[in-house]
Amino acid sequence: MLSIKNLHASVEEKNILKGLDLEIKPGEVHAIMGPNGAGKSTLGYVLTGREGYSVEQGSATLDGVDLLALEAEERARAGLFLAFQYPVEIPGVSNLEFLKASVDAVREARGEESLSSKDFLKMAREASKKVNLPADFLKRGVNEGFSGGEKKRNEILQMLLLKPKLCILDESDSGLDIDALQVVAEGVNSQRSPDRSFIVVTHYQRLLDYIKPDFVHVLSDGKIVKSGDYSLAHELESQGYAWLKDQPAADEVAEG
Amino acid sequence: MSSWLSSAVTRAEAVSDWLAPQRQASLALLRDAKWPTRKTEAWKYLPINVWDNTELQADAAESTDATSGVIEGLNSLDLVFVNGQLQSVPGDDLPAGLTVVSLADASGDARAWAAETFTAVKPARHLFGLVNDVLATQGVLIDVAAAAVIEQPIRIVNVLTKGYEAHTRVLVRLGEHAKATVIEHYVGDQRSKNTGFAEYKVGDSAYLEHYRFALQSGESLSIGGSHFELSARAELSSHLVGFGSTLQRVDVDVTHAGEHAFAKLNAIYLLDGKELFDLHSTIEHAVPNGTTEENVRGIVADNSRAVFNGRIHIHRGAQKTLAELNNRNLLMSDRAEINTKPELEIYADDVRCAHGATIAEIDKKALYYMQSRGVSRSQAQIMLNFGFINELVDQMPNQVLADWLRPQLRDRFAGMEVK
Ligand SMILES: Nc1ncnc2c1ncn2[C@@H]1O[C@H](COP(=O)(O)OP(=O)(O)OP(=O)(O)O)[C@@H](O)[C@H]1O
Ligand SMILES: [Mg+2]
Repeated sequence: MLSIKNLHASVEEKNILKGLDLEIKPGEVHAIMGPNGAGKSTLGYVLTGREGYSVEQGSATLDGVDLLALEAEERARAGLFLAFQYPVEIPGVSNLEFLKASVDAVREARGEESLSSKDFLKMAREASKKVNLPADFLKRGVNEGFSGGEKKRNEILQMLLLKPKLCILDESDSGLDIDALQVVAEGVNSQRSPDRSFIVVTHYQRLLDYIKPDFVHVLSDGKIVKSGDYSLAHELESQGYAWLKDQPAADEVAEG
Repeated sequence: MSSWLSSAVTRAEAVSDWLAPQRQASLALLRDAKWPTRKTEAWKYLPINVWDNTELQADAAESTDATSGVIEGLNSLDLVFVNGQLQSVPGDDLPAGLTVVSLADASGDARAWAAETFTAVKPARHLFGLVNDVLATQGVLIDVAAAAVIEQPIRIVNVLTKGYEAHTRVLVRLGEHAKATVIEHYVGDQRSKNTGFAEYKVGDSAYLEHYRFALQSGESLSIGGSHFELSARAELSSHLVGFGSTLQRVDVDVTHAGEHAFAKLNAIYLLDGKELFDLHSTIEHAVPNGTTEENVRGIVADNSRAVFNGRIHIHRGAQKTLAELNNRNLLMSDRAEINTKPELEIYADDVRCAHGATIAEIDKKALYYMQSRGVSRSQAQIMLNFGFINELVDQMPNQVLADWLRPQLRDRFAGMEVK
């Protein structure tokens, strides 16, 4: 489904991703862990086409489609979704209006009929129930004044409505109370299917206990430095990332 | 003196009608007036020499039957000026309590109140207001009797076509406890010049709903004003929407002449290309217990320039005044320009006043966030722009007008680019 090869990317002339490889097959759930500043969020931004991020080398394809050649909105319409680590507040634009515009756009790209306002409202209400957001959050400005946890739930709500092929969850579990954590985990588990894949970026084993990813990767200094199964998460939880220091840094390897 | 202004004075000398005393007084002021320069504070940011330098040439091929169209569903009483000529005056089938006559046809009682109102509400400091005083031989007088509630909106349309210069005047009187809606609607995008001034006397406990749609665009040059005098417990709900053009200036002045009056003033300006728009407003709290809420929002794209000068003047003794002035601007390009200057002058000690102005750039993070959900960049931009001004559109009491406006705003936004 997603194939990333030797991806090098930078922001503000600073190299962040330094030759990242990742293969994700349909239906798989991959967790990415790694120290602060390693480039986990950057990976999400580069894949979704955020302005200011430039790719120097490498490729990223979604079902064979060259993601990097597409505009940000086209990537979303192709089935890519990023649940943001820091969701953006948009005062003045109502959540409902925003959700309708995005669902309309994505459905149209898929060749599906557009929903009537009434049908959409019903669908949006059901989805908010699933993520435990009171329905009046639909009327508020997008993420405007939402608490940290409410913002994360609003991201999961969008995922439920857009039904993407590949979902990247960037620390959707941070800042959540225990119930909300289950909401996020349930959001992922309920959407798991043979033709949908996930990248779950997290610092904590707890979410992974609920989700049980197929693979766990460690991203450090712009590269995947270690991959394993679910047990790797436990190892990291107990050992931390100190062991990374004993490994040669990516640039040194390149020079040597 | 500018050559245009001296020709205007010469033309004015030939004007002679029942408003002669008022016109003579303004003419005297105009003869002494200085043509604004870059150093003239009130014209600092608007290159007024463009007015002087723009030559008008009527284009014979250009059709003059341009219309503003009706506003569907509004069922308004339309008074239409085409290039300054009033097309027709309504007959006798007006709602009870409403009298409408043309300035030229006024007689008797209409002349009496109009002569008292003409130049009495509009401050004499407006140079182009003086021009309008002496040249506006076309106009309408609208009189709403005490306690009359006029449901039908009254719409005064000014259509300008290529090569014309026009000066029109509106005088409105609302008696005690009267209610009415008046819309001043300006259209045209061809090279033309006009001044359009309106004076409103709002009686005790009367309610005026007012709209000024300054929608002239393109090469038109337009200068005008809406001026209000509020008596005790009078209420004004005024909504201005302005598009820019080669040169556009609107002055809004409100005087709280009676206590416990309430003025709500909303204004929106949306500029693109090389357009200019200048909004000056002055609120005079001359008596105690008045309230003013003024909210002005603007979006400026490309190379355009907006000027907002909002002055609130609280006179000595005008205790218990509540006045709020807020101006927010959204910049779509780094070449667009905003000159905003809120001014509070307070000479009373027991008042509550607040003012503020902000200029923000369009939020690129928000654009990306929306794009990342499949929304096209242009649609995202339109939604953000709408989000910025929606509140003020929603506050228009007349739903039909708000609904009529939205697609036009949308078209405006669609033409704008984030740069
Ligand atoms: N606009 C920018 N200018 C300069 N450096 C940047 C910019 N954006 C990100 N970076 C840097 O890129 C590096 C990677 O950031 P990124 O947000 O991808 O880390 P992360 O792995 O998600 O970290 P965390 O676990 O803290 O969320 C960091 O060192 C960060 O400071
Ligand atoms: Mg991060």
